[in-house]
Amino acid sequence: MSMEIEILLKMLVFPGGLTLIALGLLYEYIDRKLMARFQNRIGPRFLQPLADAVKLLAKEEVVPQGVIPIFFVSLPILALAGALTAGLYVPMAGFAPAFSLPGDLIIVIFLLGLLTLSIGLAGANTADRFSILGATRTLTQLFSYEAPFLLALLCPAILADTWQIDMVHQSVLGRVWLALPLFIGFFVAVIGLMGKLELAPFDAPEAESEIVAGALTEYSGRGLALFRLGKNVELVVGLTLIAAFYLGGLANPLEFLLKTLGLLVVVAALQALFARLRIDQTVGMWWRIGALLALAQLLIVVILKGVIL
Amino acid sequence: MPGLQKEKFIVPIGPQHPALKEPAHFEFTVDGETVTSASVRFGYVHRGIEKGTENRNWAQAMYLLERICGICSHVHSTTFALGVEKLAKVPAPPRAQAIRQILLELERIHSHMLWVGVAAHEAGFETLFMYSWRDRETVMDILETFSGNRVNYSANVLGGVKYDLGPAQTDSIKRGLDYLEERLHYYMKIVNSDESFLRRTRGVGMMTTAQAEELGAIGPTARASNVARDLRVDSPYLLYEQFPVTIVLGSTGDLQTRFVVRIQELFESIRVIRELVNHIPGGDLTVRFPRRIPEGEVVMRTEAPRGGLFYFIKSGGGENPVRVKVRTPSLRNFMSVLVGSVGHQLADVPMILSGIDPCFSCNDRMIVVRREPGKETAS
Amino acid sequence: MTESLLAQGLSLIEGKFVSQTAPEPNRIDLMLEPAQLLECTKALSAARWGYLSAITGLDHGAESGKLEALYHFCNKAAVITLRVTMPRDNPVVPSVCAIIPSATLFERELMEMFGVVCEGTPDPQRLFLPDEWPDGTYPLRKDYIVPAPPAAPEE
Repeated sequence: MSMEIEILLKMLVFPGGLTLIALGLLYEYIDRKLMARFQNRIGPRFLQPLADAVKLLAKEEVVPQGVIPIFFVSLPILALAGALTAGLYVPMAGFAPAFSLPGDLIIVIFLLGLLTLSIGLAGANTADRFSILGATRTLTQLFSYEAPFLLALLCPAILADTWQIDMVHQSVLGRVWLALPLFIGFFVAVIGLMGKLELAPFDAPEAESEIVAGALTEYSGRGLALFRLGKNVELVVGLTLIAAFYLGGLANPLEFLLKTLGLLVVVAALQALFARLRIDQTVGMWWRIGALLALAQLLIVVILKGVIL
Repeated sequence: MPGLQKEKFIVPIGPQHPALKEPAHFEFTVDGETVTSASVRFGYVHRGIEKGTENRNWAQAMYLLERICGICSHVHSTTFALGVEKLAKVPAPPRAQAIRQILLELERIHSHMLWVGVAAHEAGFETLFMYSWRDRETVMDILETFSGNRVNYSANVLGGVKYDLGPAQTDSIKRGLDYLEERLHYYMKIVNSDESFLRRTRGVGMMTTAQAEELGAIGPTARASNVARDLRVDSPYLLYEQFPVTIVLGSTGDLQTRFVVRIQELFESIRVIRELVNHIPGGDLTVRFPRRIPEGEVVMRTEAPRGGLFYFIKSGGGENPVRVKVRTPSLRNFMSVLVGSVGHQLADVPMILSGIDPCFSCNDRMIVVRREPGKETAS
Repeated sequence: MTESLLAQGLSLIEGKFVSQTAPEPNRIDLMLEPAQLLECTKALSAARWGYLSAITGLDHGAESGKLEALYHFCNKAAVITLRVTMPRDNPVVPSVCAIIPSATLFERELMEMFGVVCEGTPDPQRLFLPDEWPDGTYPLRKDYIVPAPPAAPEE
């Protein structure tokens, strides 16, 4: 009995569920605030992301004509659930992952991709042309960054000789930061995360000056809130994963905060620095530069491993 | 969605769309992400201004015309005032003309900086958008020291201006322009060197010299395509003969050149304002102006921030104008969007659209329907 | 400069108009028959003499029974205006869009505001007026009286 309660607690309170959502809101706030300060604006108040979420959750959800209602309602849930589940396998807040099994790195990457996939499907489900264009762009973009992102995360895993996140994490703890020797992989992973989250300059799928809100144009109320929470959670999970792999591991909560927030500052600065890429430019960039870089990095890792070990 | 692929896929932009801060309706037919044709419909903010002038007296009409546009408001009232003064053969005193010209150039700074921000926003470059609008506040503050208003300064009266250039205004102009000049150098550097921004502007919305001539483009849009059309130079009004501006030309005609041309023009504006402030003629601000304007027709053309502004004013000898025709620069330039967007990516359309700095309020002047149950009224 | 431009423009369309006046030093107004419009436009635009800056509609009132369309061509400071007079009950001019494609927006405006028919214009849709605007009502004609706005509701 106590075992089941423990599992439930892990899933719903810590490190999953509420903790993840709270962290997600906190990180959204920090991201928005940093962006605002970089752009010489004042930015949101501390509780603004929470207020946004509560407001959206409380609002009526309009199910537009021409959609398949079951998909329309369930896709946001799927997206958030995927992101939350992914959080159970990463060393959240510096503690050991709630669950760990061999090959869970692939599971996490799949779960993180699930959010994007849900957004794409949600857009394709509605009859709105902005949504359809946004969905096309979302899925196009998914195919461009997913492979390099995966390759970039595989590099530390290959070094550690395991595809289990916890084991990889243990192997890098206390060692020199992998971001230094494997800077290419680190770079690709960070940019890949930005692509995944459709942050500027990779926000062509939701470019407001062209296609309103992209795939989520028709979403309001609960569905929109769930998608946004899902993105926030994914931001936290992604940052944790990258920090755990590339920044010398997360030994304790303080280290977790410092390292992930440090990454967030970098991400926010990159967002403020560039103009939006067109979708063709995004795809071209990922396949021409991103994929090659990631492959080169992987090759270097494999060769080094063969030579040294 | 069977059949969707076979039919034309039309992306409507407007009348409510985040890319357009003002209402107009565009229909872009796309094939994948490529635009294959475009059409336009205006009229969502018609206010009946041309008709409205016909039952107002000359002075009232001027203030009404000032409200055609919220950004380039002074240029409308100045053009009308100049036209009417020409009809009445009562020119405004030189000091008034100098003050009008200072305000016109300040307005140009304010309009172009607004455009830099909007165009950056369309390119998804929010940081430049925020910065340029922050710095634009400087010129708004200067304008406020004249009249107390940030837009619609109501500085003109027929036969002169209301506000004098005193020490307070001189001081705020001098300080503000120094700051702006420094910032503009910075923006010039950005639009010329920021790689990600250049990817969105270089080669986009290209208009060759021949096309610009054929489409009758005007203003910075034409000048970026190396068409030397600037009414301040071609047909000097106010004191543009004594205090001339140099025409700024670009050669390639893409969006990046339009950025460069517009920012370069601002350096010219700043230089002219400084000269005017330093050598402003003395004398009165107004002259006595008749209520009735002698019969006649006059064409008055001035260079608004967006291009040549055209006024045709007809007087029947009475207290009201018989006909005031306004052709705003945006209307003349819209064809370049409709023609220019074909063959481009949909993502570039907002950029091309904003490339001409469209002003929908300016286009829409005439009628707005007020819906009442069962009947229609217009005002 | 301006004089020579005007002279040059005038020479292009010599003999293709009825009469001329010079209301301002930089302007020449030419009175045309509707049939002469295309010829003049063609001559001016083929020589790239300036650009079509605007088309102004003028209503001379019900008693005169005349409508006028003014085609303003601007070249630097010089303005040549082609003035075409039409009967008010059957105002027809040929469309200049075949020669100057960008005139379509101007012609659409002229058509809806004055009820002038530009024969052969590629897109006769309304440009500014709302779809539900009554047909046959042309707001910039003199006999169109702007209805008084509804009285403000009493406090």
